[in-house]
Amino acid sequence: MTLDRRKFLGLAGTSLSAAILSGCNSRGPGAAERILRYAERKNEIVERALFSHSAIDAPPAGAKLAGNALPGYFISRTVPVWDETERGKWHLEIGGMVDRPLRLSLEDLVAMPRSDKRVNLYCVEGWTAVAHWTGVRLRDLAALAGVQRGAEYVDFESFDSGYHESWDMESAMHPQTVVAYGLDGRFLSPTYGAPARVYSPVKLGYKNTKYLTRVMFLSNRTGGYWSDRGYEWYAGV
Amino acid sequence: MVRPRHHWVVRVTHWVNFVALTIMVGSGLRIFNAYPRFARRGETFCCYPWEGKRFPEELTFGGWLAGARNWHFAMMWVLVANGLVYLGFIYLHGEWRDLVPRRGFFRDAMAMLKFYLFLRRDHPRQGKHNALQRGVYFILPWIGLMAVVTGIAIWKPVQLSVLTNLLGGYVWARFWHFISMVLLVVLSFVHIFMVFAVDPWSLRAITTGGYDERNSPEARNARPFWNLFPRKREKMEDTDDA
Repeated sequence: MTLDRRKFLGLAGTSLSAAILSGCNSRGPGAAERILRYAERKNEIVERALFSHSAIDAPPAGAKLAGNALPGYFISRTVPVWDETERGKWHLEIGGMVDRPLRLSLEDLVAMPRSDKRVNLYCVEGWTAVAHWTGVRLRDLAALAGVQRGAEYVDFESFDSGYHESWDMESAMHPQTVVAYGLDGRFLSPTYGAPARVYSPVKLGYKNTKYLTRVMFLSNRTGGYWSDRGYEWYAGV
Repeated sequence: MVRPRHHWVVRVTHWVNFVALTIMVGSGLRIFNAYPRFARRGETFCCYPWEGKRFPEELTFGGWLAGARNWHFAMMWVLVANGLVYLGFIYLHGEWRDLVPRRGFFRDAMAMLKFYLFLRRDHPRQGKHNALQRGVYFILPWIGLMAVVTGIAIWKPVQLSVLTNLLGGYVWARFWHFISMVLLVVLSFVHIFMVFAVDPWSLRAITTGGYDERNSPEARNARPFWNLFPRKREKMEDTDDA
């Protein structure tokens, strides 16, 4: 078949428009999934190389606390609330590869040395919010429990319909990573993850498990609610 | 006579850039749509009049937020690597001389503007690229650099907080990232418009490399949509290059 210039241009134009139209608002070709996964793994190497414990988040002095404008978020149908009559008193379990598994009540956490910091929250959607978080540094809890050699990952579990997210050890041991029980000077309300939640400015919001029940130190990564659904697992900020 | 106009490295990087930039803009708009405003939660932002307005889904790429982010963070490497190959090549191979504004740039640019506005009869003789083109081709890599730097600043606002703070903090860095995208898109559309309206032959030159100087806008005395105007052909020798 011969193709004169006019036909060629017509054909090229039609196929290009078709390609563009099918590309619009689509997830892109399926074969690209593998390339995207590959890029995510390579990005993680770069992000880990950039990561440092001395990089500290500090919101600008003039920035307002988000207060009630801070969105609440959970995956259950209604706000998850710890029901003491049904489940007994809430405890935070610290386990996995540790020498001394811990079972801490809220009072135990409050009695520990506290971190009291005004920091940014970085959401995957692109917004930030300044809030004042009070809690216990995870590195202190790790020291108390005696984390064993070979524990490379930490999984944060919740009572919010199985929501959990696992982290790399370095990010979990960052000085700004806390198990928070206070927000803006008050105990957490159920909207924001009561009785306690993970909070750190070095990870995107969805990595910071709310309604925390267990912190597991592990040798393998265990994914997470959003990481298993296509969002980056590392999600460092 | 058809002569080679663009080196193959320039042609390949041009089209790779076209694909990468299209995907970066599409996925970037999808990410923007997840929170189509700049203000920090609980604050207002001074300088964006369309806070809360989303872009039409048809203009976005990636399907959903995670898909768009994955595309954005993969394609950024292609965009940067391709840009570095292009800039390295034109530096080593000498093509940069055609793209950096030369002496008398503003005078030459005014002459082109006057010609396009019918205030001047003849196309100024300015060589491979006229002064307006030079200006745009010169400034595009700088806007690209701005997009990359602001992008890094909002990718790693804690680990690279020095950079983010230099740009005015996360909120402003995100705004500058958006502005650099707008500038790239606007200039790209002007570029594409001029290709089709003034010099469609350049489409072949940037694809297969060949270009016939007899078709150049200078030779045709071509303004946008030149083919819709009555032809008044003048002899080249008679043109006054004032």
